[in-house]
Amino acid sequence: MSDKPAACLQIADDLLAAALGEAGQSAAQHVERHLTICATCRREFQGYRAVDGMLTALQEEPVPGGRLAQSRERLETRLADLRKRMLAYRIVPSPLGHILIARSELGISLVEYLDRGASVRASRLSHEPGVELVEDGGELEAASRELLEYLAGRRTRLEWPLDLRLARSDFQRTVLQATAAIPYGAVIPYAGIAQGVGKAAATRAVAQALRWNPLPIVIPCHRVIGSSGALTGYAGSKVGLKQRLLSLEGVPTAKRAGVLGIAPQAMYVLYPGDREYCVPTCPSLDTREPSPLVRFASRDVAEAAGLAPCTTCRPDLHPISR
Amino acid sequence: MSHRVMSGAGFETVVSAHHGEIFRYLQRVIGRADDADDLSQETFLRAYRAYHSLPGDANVRAWLFSIATNLAKNHFRGESRRRQAYSEVRASSREAVTVAPEAELLSRETSALVEGIVGRLPLKQRLAFTQRKVHGLDYEAIGRSLGCSPESARAHVFQAVRKIRQGLDGHGLLPEEPQR
Repeated sequence: MSDKPAACLQIADDLLAAALGEAGQSAAQHVERHLTICATCRREFQGYRAVDGMLTALQEEPVPGGRLAQSRERLETRLADLRKRMLAYRIVPSPLGHILIARSELGISLVEYLDRGASVRASRLSHEPGVELVEDGGELEAASRELLEYLAGRRTRLEWPLDLRLARSDFQRTVLQATAAIPYGAVIPYAGIAQGVGKAAATRAVAQALRWNPLPIVIPCHRVIGSSGALTGYAGSKVGLKQRLLSLEGVPTAKRAGVLGIAPQAMYVLYPGDREYCVPTCPSLDTREPSPLVRFASRDVAEAAGLAPCTTCRPDLHPISR
Repeated sequence: MSHRVMSGAGFETVVSAHHGEIFRYLQRVIGRADDADDLSQETFLRAYRAYHSLPGDANVRAWLFSIATNLAKNHFRGESRRRQAYSEVRASSREAVTVAPEAELLSRETSALVEGIVGRLPLKQRLAFTQRKVHGLDYEAIGRSLGCSPESARAHVFQAVRKIRQGLDGHGLLPEEPQR
């Protein structure tokens, strides 16, 4: 039990607040009035003022500079490492199912169809060694909106900065870069990519590289098909998704003898290295070495890629009728 | 709501601006420089993981103090470590005295005395007191870091200041009782 008078007990908190310079105006005035009549509280107040003065010494006390610099240096190293490993992700419900998008500080590093539900645990990232996943805080909002616009056919390009570090090899990165250059509405055989990266014999390796494409849709591996025109595979066994993505771009597809493929006769073609596009029946093609052709869904698509109509078959005068 | 873009560059400035004071804060509340070093790093690594989802108008400094405070609280879970920490706080204060130049000895002694008392405060009071009186955070932020109301945070600080005053009594540093 304190033997202080009630009036002193009542203002004890305000007195301390006033001594620390934290009291509101009316409380401070109240305390001031009390101090003029109470010597005990006045002493207490002065005691607190003195303590408060000593506390400023605490604020100024330095940490040994070397110690601090060392700690800072170690922190920078660990942060740099974390930065490299950290990916923010978001799961986007889309017409093609749940799609996970992840990005590093360099750019989008993963687009993944989640088969086993809308959980990050279904992602290959949860098994990727060294990757640290954090939930998206909003920086993937624009990307997911654009992805949905793309899948709704309201957008033909996804101009995202990409981070290809999840690629498994330099060869795969090269293949992915070549694939990224295929225009919207065009398709090319695996052999065409193999030729494009200077490894004409590596068709199978190209197919493997694309099978593990960490960035489907944005790196359009769905535009790479078999030499026969068959869609072959996509992201494992999702060839149906490949067809939907191609249809979105106006690429005609059909099932023949149980096999999904493009309709080559309904597409314009480009001989590798040419600057002119042709109808598939162009006589000039018959006279040349067989080579993997790029095919376009429409003249607009071909011309948007900077190509001119062939002066032999004149696709501008005799377009393909569908 | 706008968020921060995930970028190393943005966080760089956060580290530059606050690493020193977070280190000091942790050293003061924990007492051991090695642990303060580890926990200050952990504070910023955790902060970096969450920084990109921090609202654009958030008070980054108060947020960092709150992360550091939580780490400090976890650090002291377990009675034995707490006891160890108190003795370490006192040991490091004595260390500070021995390296002080002659002229500053008196104020150094006073600081050492104050620090000794602060080191023996219950953890919440010590955390609240240090945030308020050494680093100047407001009670709102302190309360949030301790998981209590601003009023409780203030009560912790006031308790701490009262104990310091009591502890300094009789050392000739405060206005004395008049002789009768």
